[in-house]
Amino acid sequence: MFNWTFRELFSSPQQLLASVAAVASAFALVLFFEGVFAGESEKIVALIDKTDADVWVMQEGVGNMHMTTSFLADWKIDAVAGVEGVKKVTPILYLNSVFEAGGRNWFSFVVGMEAGDPRAGPWEMARGARAPGPGEAIIPEVIADSAGLGIGDKVRIAGEDFTIAGLSRDTFSMANSITFVTLDDLAETISTVGTVSYLLVDAEPGVNPAELAERIKAEVEKVNALTREEFSARDYSIAVQMGLDIVWIMTLIGGALAVLLTGFIVHSHVSERERELAVMKALGVRDRSIYAALLLQALAIGLLAYALAVALIYLAVPLVGVLSPKISLGVTTAALIRSGSTAVVVSLIAAIIPVRRVLSVDPVSAFQQ
Amino acid sequence: MTTPILQAENVVKTFGQGHALVRAVDGVSLELQQGEMVTITGPSGSGKTTLVSILGALLRADSGKVVIDGTDISTLSEAGLSALRARTIGFVFQSFNLLEALSVRENVLFPAHLAPGGVKAAAPRADEILEKLGLAERRHALPRTLSGGEKQRVAIARALINEPRLIIADEPTGNLDSKSGQNVLMVLHDIARDDGRGVLIVTHDRRVEDVADRILWLEDGKLRDRKLDAHEWVRDPVCNMAIDSWTSEIFIDHGEARYHFCSERCRERFTATPETYITHLSNNRAALERRS
Ligand SMILES: Nc1ncnc2c1ncn2[C@@H]1O[C@H](COP(=O)(O)OP(=O)(O)OP(=O)(O)O)[C@@H](O)[C@H]1O
Ligand SMILES: [Mg+2]
Repeated sequence: MFNWTFRELFSSPQQLLASVAAVASAFALVLFFEGVFAGESEKIVALIDKTDADVWVMQEGVGNMHMTTSFLADWKIDAVAGVEGVKKVTPILYLNSVFEAGGRNWFSFVVGMEAGDPRAGPWEMARGARAPGPGEAIIPEVIADSAGLGIGDKVRIAGEDFTIAGLSRDTFSMANSITFVTLDDLAETISTVGTVSYLLVDAEPGVNPAELAERIKAEVEKVNALTREEFSARDYSIAVQMGLDIVWIMTLIGGALAVLLTGFIVHSHVSERERELAVMKALGVRDRSIYAALLLQALAIGLLAYALAVALIYLAVPLVGVLSPKISLGVTTAALIRSGSTAVVVSLIAAIIPVRRVLSVDPVSAFQQ
Repeated sequence: MTTPILQAENVVKTFGQGHALVRAVDGVSLELQQGEMVTITGPSGSGKTTLVSILGALLRADSGKVVIDGTDISTLSEAGLSALRARTIGFVFQSFNLLEALSVRENVLFPAHLAPGGVKAAAPRADEILEKLGLAERRHALPRTLSGGEKQRVAIARALINEPRLIIADEPTGNLDSKSGQNVLMVLHDIARDDGRGVLIVTHDRRVEDVADRILWLEDGKLRDRKLDAHEWVRDPVCNMAIDSWTSEIFIDHGEARYHFCSERCRERFTATPETYITHLSNNRAALERRS
């Protein structure tokens, strides 16, 4: 019976391939959307992860970069620099904004960094300067390309004109692009004087970042200090929180689609093989064995489809990077596990669809011509 | 006499209601002994398939009693009937009904997982049966590549794999050319005579009448006596099958006479030991003469 289950499934490879491809497309759709979402989430913490500071210092009561604002009086830069184990303190101003380029508005975070110091600046450059000078901006290459702009052209950020001095990579995503200007320019634009948003702290070699963060909190009043890992994890979870409902709805829709497809495939299998099922029953095979065989077939289709979908998504990651650089795809273990379990659940549900058909097959019909 | 492998008493089965009521089987009683080959014949729609479906534990009768291998099947649950079919009955169908995705050998072994020993224990038996039925070379072939006669022999091998005591065949030669049909009938005949199984065949094939131990005539759901039509055919000295000597292509001249055969198989048997069959033949003649 086991033998038959798989032989029958593989007896017409084209049909199996078509079935698996159909179900796989449903899973791939879910994985793709989750991938886009995960890609975006990764971009949310790109600045934190890629600038690679040991400790981040922010306003007391603040623990994130997104969905909050942090203001620190600038005398705290020196206060933090005076804490034992601190090697370097790099302040940034951080603003959630929109800029105009090529007649279009782009949503972007703007980082104000100290003129001439690339420490908090872009980590990967396409062209031009790593650190902006006064009146200059470094914008993502992707935006420059699609707006038809290059180095020396003008962009408007928060109502002020800036000259493009450099084009950065790995700083674009649909909702979380990053633009760099000088701290002074940004402060002037938003009319704040004597304040910064965050401090990037580099530790002396051999200093434990967690202990350093504790020390900073203890010695400098009204600040919060977090290690890079913790700060990054907190922001990432904000992103995940925001997107979780959407991901679940996508999984549900994709799963329902896959149930219908798999169910239809197994059902049409049963209809095509009705005579063989009648013969099996006549020979003494019980309904539940036939049913188990169908369940196994549905499971095989589901898992093959899942494998194909995973292969497709891994193929899509570099392909999307080339064909559509605005989209960043990220594949997470959580997404793989989620769609893998969806595949199993889908198969189990789908196998219920042909039950009545199987039960109604009359063994006597094996005698009919 | 041993207890019969199959007993039916006053079996009734109707379909439909009111004006559309059909008494497909109408009070049939019969017995089948081990080693006996019995043929049920009759006009189309007379209830033959319905009757063997009931006798094969595939369909429940409205009333009456069917006892298979000592078990009254009306006492069995669906699962019990399935188990009985798997272990005690071998089915041969008109349209072969092989599982298309499985090879010849896998088809033969298919019912084995329903029997106590499982596929493993049955494997040597499968090879032996395939050998005996001349299918050893085709054992890895898929059913669609086989001729009709080969398919039916595979189906017979499958019916035999669990060593059932009862074989039920509905029109086993209906889809075969005359030579393959004859061969299949011979195989079924051997199964009764050599292996001692009870063989019940529904057929319109006249040739089976000559090898069967008994012929039952079913008409309008009832068993009736039927006068045997007179044939002036010669008999195969080995299997006793009626052969039309005018069209027969398989024959041999032995002594002063010419002998006709249903198949190469019978001719080979005859040439090996002609004496046994010649005496057998004269006994048969005597019996025939007594009857007429
Ligand atoms: N499931 C059913 N529902 C209604 N009527 C049925 C059913 N099965 C058989 N019949 C009727 O019962 C009668 C006997 O049918 P059955 O198939 O047993 O005949 P048969 O002798 O096998 O015929 P044939 O030689 O054509 O195969 C027929 O009148 C047939 O129409
Ligand atoms: Mg019939």
